[in-house]
Amino acid sequence: MSATGVDDAVWSAIGDPIRRRMLDILLAAGPGTATSLSEQLPVTRQAVAKHLQVLGQAGLVHGTTAGREHRYQVDQAQLARAVAQLASVGASWDARLQRIKRIAEAIQRERDA
Amino acid sequence: MEYGSIEREIYVEASPEVVFEVVSRPEHLREWWPDDAWLEPGPGGVGELIWNGDAPGSAKVMPMTVMESVPPRLFSFRWAYEPGAEPGPSNSFLVTLELVPSGAGTTVRLTETGFREQGWEIAKLEAAYRDHVSGWDWFVPRLGEYVTRLASTP
Repeated sequence: MSATGVDDAVWSAIGDPIRRRMLDILLAAGPGTATSLSEQLPVTRQAVAKHLQVLGQAGLVHGTTAGREHRYQVDQAQLARAVAQLASVGASWDARLQRIKRIAEAIQRERDA
Repeated sequence: MEYGSIEREIYVEASPEVVFEVVSRPEHLREWWPDDAWLEPGPGGVGELIWNGDAPGSAKVMPMTVMESVPPRLFSFRWAYEPGAEPGPSNSFLVTLELVPSGAGTTVRLTETGFREQGWEIAKLEAAYRDHVSGWDWFVPRLGEYVTRLASTP
């Protein structure tokens, strides 16, 4: 895994708490519009539309035309990928703890010898 | 999404005193985490974690500050805030390492919190850094060297 442009877009898209809440709402309630999302969030419809654009550029949501508005839904595959990247942060602590273990045990063995 | 914290536990066959040295002293820290590190000991002590990067000028420096230091039981620090800023819940990660005597060794309990309070830049950095350290290919030879050095030090 590398920090490609796509990954950067995903990271910064998920980095905003309002956008995370938008994803939560879309996951829980199914597809929604900028209007329906703004009714559930402390921000304007215009702000929600901008956030949806960011999420769309990151591939996390896809919009389809529904009357005068776009209806957005979460891209589950892209979201799963983002979650996997996040899990890798935990994985790097696993690797560090393994190194701590090996170093400490080597020192202990040396002192016991 | 509930990404509030990471919790991990590992058993180490070494005394809490030895484990405390390894987690808290810069000369050991730089062997299990960044390329280089320095750190003032004790609560409030400040330091830096340094990754050299691939090219000249691409080094990354992350400040850290010791929050609690209770040898050999507890070591906690904040890291990844902007250089010069006061570390707090809104701008940094809090890492807590609790060392619990367990049989002939020590159980290390790690928590890292702070994801939900700040941007994800550091997660990105971690992902990028992982390219260099991913898997044992990279760090097993390095550990081997380290253990050999330790063994040959009087």
